Amino acid sequence: MARSRLETVGSVFSRTRDLIRAGVLNEKPLWFDIYNAFPPLREPVFRRPRLRYGKAKAAIQDILYPEDRIRAFVEKYIELQKLGETDEEKLFVETGKALLAAGVILRRVEARTQKEGGHVSWESEPTGVKPQTVLEKNQPLQEVPQDQHLETSEEQPKGLSPP
Amino acid sequence: MVPAATVPRLLGAGVWPRPLRPHLLQSATPGRARPGGRTLASAATPAVSEPEDSIDVSDKILSQPLKHSDFFNVKELFSVRSLFDARVHLGHKAGCRHRFMEPYIFGSRLGQDIIDLEQTAAHLQLALNFMAHVAYRKGIILFVGRNRQFSHLIETTARNCGEYAHTRYFKGGLLTNAPLLLGPMVRLPDLIIFLHTLNNVFEPHVAVRDAAKMHIPTVGVVDTNCNPCLITYPIPGNDDSPPSIHLFCRLFQTTINRAKQKRRQMEALYRLQGPEGLGARGQGLAASPSLGGTHSPPEGE
Repeated sequence: MARSRLETVGSVFSRTRDLIRAGVLNEKPLWFDIYNAFPPLREPVFRRPRLRYGKAKAAIQDILYPEDRIRAFVEKYIELQKLGETDEEKLFVETGKALLAAGVILRRVEARTQKEGGHVSWESEPTGVKPQTVLEKNQPLQEVPQDQHLETSEEQPKGLSPP
Repeated sequence: MVPAATVPRLLGAGVWPRPLRPHLLQSATPGRARPGGRTLASAATPAVSEPEDSIDVSDKILSQPLKHSDFFNVKELFSVRSLFDARVHLGHKAGCRHRFMEPYIFGSRLGQDIIDLEQTAAHLQLALNFMAHVAYRKGIILFVGRNRQFSHLIETTARNCGEYAHTRYFKGGLLTNAPLLLGPMVRLPDLIIFLHTLNNVFEPHVAVRDAAKMHIPTVGVVDTNCNPCLITYPIPGNDDSPPSIHLFCRLFQTTINRAKQKRRQMEALYRLQGPEGLGARGQGLAASPSLGGTHSPPEGE
């Protein structure tokens, strides 16, 4: 069977078709008609993989969900907590006491209020904060949780309750 | 299977009773009046005479499945949900990404690439359909995969299909220098299916390039770090998780067995119908596996 071993020139199909047309290949291969009837979505032509230079980046977006904002807030909160913010601690202690009074039920309410607070906080936040950027930038983050604490105090125990 | 075991079967494969190539004869045969005054149900078939001539019968057997978009009904074998449950959408980390896989990637979740399952479903349907047609036409299929974790699974899959597998070290000229390595008059595979496109050192498998050289179409599961350029029917999907590879092997096995069974049915059909003269009934029966015979036109099976 005549073949052209040039895998970089065209696709398998184009080379076989042209060989048949030229009369070099006498017998049609088994898969030829099937490929004709059901071609693939992309013709399998060889492409040389080139590196990207400069600032060119792939057009692939990150997958982020609304819950990631809440997670980002929680991570921020815990981190700032370690720095030792006194205002937050006071409110923290108060909500801690309320937690002791009624544990599970409060948590559910907290979740609801936290969601509502979350909604309110989304409007107040200027831009979406990605969880990866939490540890990098501290200064803008300090402003944001303070705004949120002014609006809702029930959000803070959420920082305590996650397992 | 070890290459040595494939030698006698490949050598013997050339002895298969293959009918004469009917495609080159089509222009020669003029249309004739049907015997018994029966007309064909679909007018799309070319004017091929239908006596008990074996060439025309085999032509009918071969040409008919190509008219339906999904003759073997491969769509019902999987769904986007089943692909998701088998973790087919999970790719490698963003640093391993191959540039040519970017169109098939949905996005990146915390650094891990997620493959777009809508595209995977479309590609998988095309690939399974092609595979089924090749098996229907009694083509030789070779399963290749170099991940040692699944080499036994691939070999058992090939054995269950009645096809061939090569999951060991791929010797240099196995496809390109076949007469020397495997003996004279060896029939090369008509389709190569890659469960893993990369070899053990994360380079493209030699068989991808060699199949392109030898005009052999390929079907392959391409992960986010693979090069899908030379693969005829790529299937973007996970090739590292066990559930994913088990799903693919199951799908391939079912498709090939289904296609071979269909072929046996069609041959039995035309053998029985031969003395009576082929008519609409032959086409109606092609859709249903039973030999009861209905006059309904074949649906897009």
